[in-house]
Amino acid sequence: MTASNHHQPHLSSDDPRIMLDGEIGQFESVPPYPPRTEREAEFYSLRDGEMFLNMGPQHPSTHGVLRVVLKINGERVVDLDPVLGYLHRGVEKLCENSDYHHIISQVDPLEYVSSLFTEWAPVMAFEKLLDVTVPRRAEYIRVLTGELLRVSSHALYQGWMALDLGGLAPILYSFIERDEIVEMLAAITGQRMLFNYFRIGGVNGDLNHEFMSRLGDWMSRALKEHETNIGLLNENEIFVRRMRGIGRVDRDMALKMAVTGPNIRAAGVPFDVRRAHPYSVYPELDFNIPVRGSNGGGDSLDRYLLRLDEVRESLKIIDQCLHNMPDGPIMARLPRLLRPRPGRAWAAVEAPRGLYGTYAISDGTDQPFRMKIHDPSFVNMQLVGQLMKNNLIADTMAVMASLDPVMGGIDK
Amino acid sequence: MDRLLRKRLETRFDGKLLGPVRQRHDETEIHVGTADLVEIMNALHDEADLKFEILADLAGVDTGDQMQVTYHLWSEMTPDWLRVIADGLPRDNPRIPSLTGLWPGAEWMERETYDMFGIIFEGNRDLRRIYMPPDYASFPLRKDFYLADDAARSPGGGVRHMEQTHVPAQASPNAVRRTVKTR
Amino acid sequence: MTTVSRSWGNMTTTGKVVVPLLLLVLVLGPIATVAIGSWIGPWIVGLASANLPIVRFLVAVTGVLLFSIPTAFIIIYMELKVIAFMNLRVGPDRVGPAGAAHSVVAGLKVLSKEDFSPNAADRTVFTWAPVLVFLTSVMTFLILPFGPDLVGMKLNIGVLYLFSIGGMTVVGLLLAGWSSFNKYSLLGGLRAAAQVVSYEIPLTLSVVGLILLAGTMNVYTLGLQQSGWFTNWYVFRQPLGALIFFIASIAEANRTPFDLTEADSEIVAGFATEYSGMRFGFLFFAEYVNVFLVSALITTFFFGAWNAPVDINAILGFFNIAPITISFELGTLGIALLIAIAVLPLILTLALAAPFYFGKTQRPAWQALVIGFILFNLVGIGILGLIAYVNVPWIAGITWFFLKAFAFVFVFVWMRGTFPRVRIDQLMGFAWKWLLPAALLNLFVTAAAIIVVKSL
Repeated sequence: MTASNHHQPHLSSDDPRIMLDGEIGQFESVPPYPPRTEREAEFYSLRDGEMFLNMGPQHPSTHGVLRVVLKINGERVVDLDPVLGYLHRGVEKLCENSDYHHIISQVDPLEYVSSLFTEWAPVMAFEKLLDVTVPRRAEYIRVLTGELLRVSSHALYQGWMALDLGGLAPILYSFIERDEIVEMLAAITGQRMLFNYFRIGGVNGDLNHEFMSRLGDWMSRALKEHETNIGLLNENEIFVRRMRGIGRVDRDMALKMAVTGPNIRAAGVPFDVRRAHPYSVYPELDFNIPVRGSNGGGDSLDRYLLRLDEVRESLKIIDQCLHNMPDGPIMARLPRLLRPRPGRAWAAVEAPRGLYGTYAISDGTDQPFRMKIHDPSFVNMQLVGQLMKNNLIADTMAVMASLDPVMGGIDK
Repeated sequence: MDRLLRKRLETRFDGKLLGPVRQRHDETEIHVGTADLVEIMNALHDEADLKFEILADLAGVDTGDQMQVTYHLWSEMTPDWLRVIADGLPRDNPRIPSLTGLWPGAEWMERETYDMFGIIFEGNRDLRRIYMPPDYASFPLRKDFYLADDAARSPGGGVRHMEQTHVPAQASPNAVRRTVKTR
Repeated sequence: MTTVSRSWGNMTTTGKVVVPLLLLVLVLGPIATVAIGSWIGPWIVGLASANLPIVRFLVAVTGVLLFSIPTAFIIIYMELKVIAFMNLRVGPDRVGPAGAAHSVVAGLKVLSKEDFSPNAADRTVFTWAPVLVFLTSVMTFLILPFGPDLVGMKLNIGVLYLFSIGGMTVVGLLLAGWSSFNKYSLLGGLRAAAQVVSYEIPLTLSVVGLILLAGTMNVYTLGLQQSGWFTNWYVFRQPLGALIFFIASIAEANRTPFDLTEADSEIVAGFATEYSGMRFGFLFFAEYVNVFLVSALITTFFFGAWNAPVDINAILGFFNIAPITISFELGTLGIALLIAIAVLPLILTLALAAPFYFGKTQRPAWQALVIGFILFNLVGIGILGLIAYVNVPWIAGITWFFLKAFAFVFVFVWMRGTFPRVRIDQLMGFAWKWLLPAALLNLFVTAAAIIVVKSL
């Protein structure tokens, strides 16, 4: 265990504009201080033939600003250490200093790909604190827009899964599908990406004519377009061989690593918050929970196929919502200045990436005392370290992409 | 509001709970001490009628006079979420046993709690900062976190008014203030 | 005099250099022209005519070097446009008509970038590695037959020359990767070395069967042997060899699905990460020249080089009709020729403009006339081209050669837009476990077949 390449004298001054001569040629990605934890010491010591490769914060394939330090021996990855924090915005502290209403726009950029879910959980927690019942029409609208966004998010996942493996075409097809959905949602929410649509007690705007016409038009060809997009990749020999057998997660590992969402359902555990702990109007809707990898666990291909199955189920849910949409108000009557009772509340929804939860503590004032956000991608990223031992560098990308991480949530 | 769950918890962990089992909406809440934490968690995870296999969240809380670590668990045996609050961590040296033996996936969540609050999880193999830079000097989500302390040592040098090393006469709005009622 | 001295004083330094030079040129110009015309010129021509092969070689080499750049431009544009259409996008459409001048502008951009090298890089090797890569691609154009008698050199060991030069690409890639002082580049360079070396063996072996059949390594002769009907093409006699050559050449050219040397979702740009400016331009162009090269090789070896699929003269000979030649003496027309030249463009322009003026869209008159004129020009070019094709044999040859080569380039580009990339261990496994045995099998079967047929 050579600690010698650890204690490199850190010659730089504090000013990053100055680069001292002694620093030229020092490119190790090791931290310039002695290891503080057991794991750090184990990781940052090199054996014979190993070297560090820094897939830095700027990289075409890490899904956002993520730095992954790989310890490689030739092409084999011996170990890996994700370094987070490049997108950390201090959202939880910001929420502590914001009104309850303001929080909805604060948490939007967390899972920016599917941001209605990031609003849903806090809004549910606050409704528990205020003991407010949401009108049924608002609940149906929430489910409808949520499932639309789930379809859009999974479509995008297909695209960038292929992009990380080198195929340039599917991402554009995914963006076509996503564009249609996002334009639809822009018709009611006014925004294409960070929607700021849910409110405590309901939603912000009712369904309007443009939304319904776009939705009807899209629904009539949604299933067929989905099949086309699947046909692009599923039969492709290269794609399947790159994904099969890589990143196998079995039931025990998934439960122990606290993984949720499609990643755990592809490992054989049928845990979906919509069925396990139903919220909103999901008890009234008829849909299945697809599960793959029930014997022996699931690999990347199972995770990919599972998300495609989920899209079909979401389309079913959207259909039912449209048919059963009740009339009524879309917002509960609430005072403008909200002062919930002092207490604690937890609420969790099934975001496209897993269980998205919010733990809110209120102290009776108009700003929450503590707001903890549990993001599924944060927990899912730990799997990469477990799954990547002794695989090739190219597989790092495949595994990371198959877990569908979004850096906004990982680095809240 | 699972009455059965409450009875089960009360009978099983009789002497170890630091307060009554509270239930509201679809959540059940128990308070435990840091000494009994691992044993209780193991029991919740392993026993056949409890079977809380899924760790949904691990949160640190700074209540102003002490610190807490809150765990949210889910079991297929009950329709409620279970909230386990490990209470009574002193603010000047908060230590609590780590759950990475039971759930290795709690490692990063504990790292985050350490990074934001300074709570030391004993037994976590990798307790280093996860969001803030490794040489950051304070813990941001604490209630007594002033930007001033840190900024004076930062490369920016405390140029902005907020960063000057003076403690404002009235401490920052979320500092240790009146006794906070969170019950 | 004062005017001159005042103007001289007012001039900039550049002016003070340029103006005297100009005056010198003006004075010496006529003298130089006379000198060149009477003494130096004839001496050069005499020297050249005495050493004709060398001159021919120099012309060929220059032509080849100059030819590769526009080809690369065309292929780059083709790639961008074709992949765009496959992705339901439009591709470049701003610069030039439908974006046609995009590659030229991209080339200018590449020229105008700052040309630096990393601090700790090995500067000499860093500079010369792209040159090596580019040269090894371009040197192979020397023996490519573009048409009957249109070859740089009719080397007797043409095929051997091809593969030995192509093998040097590895050195260039490896040097580029190593000298960049960058772990990504190193990985890219090593991957490139492993890939190119392991695919060279099936590549070479697949052609050996062809050489056995043809009995010569002369690439020009290979083209000659495939003249006539398309059934003479070697692809029908060596199908497995053609397939193996095709697959191995994709790997040699570092194209998707075998492009993990520059896989830009893992190792940012592979061995070319630290290159910018003209050095990157070299590497970039080298790749596209390589693509054209392997397409040209496939057509030369297996798909008939410059030969048309059907031999029209043979068909006509079957029916006892004389071979087609379009020839007439322009002089016999006399005054009619002058009238034709004056009147024909006008009549044709008006005729071709009429549908646009009277038709459904009802364009304004001047627009219709302009369109008519352009169409007339195109028609004229078409007719002239047809005459050239029929009369001049090597034009037909070039046309068919480029058609076939660009068809294969299209296939390469198509594959780039469609396939994801394979992993390094899958790639190596494929080369050593599948392509190499297949190539050996091909070789043995061909050899056995030759012996059997000979003994019959």
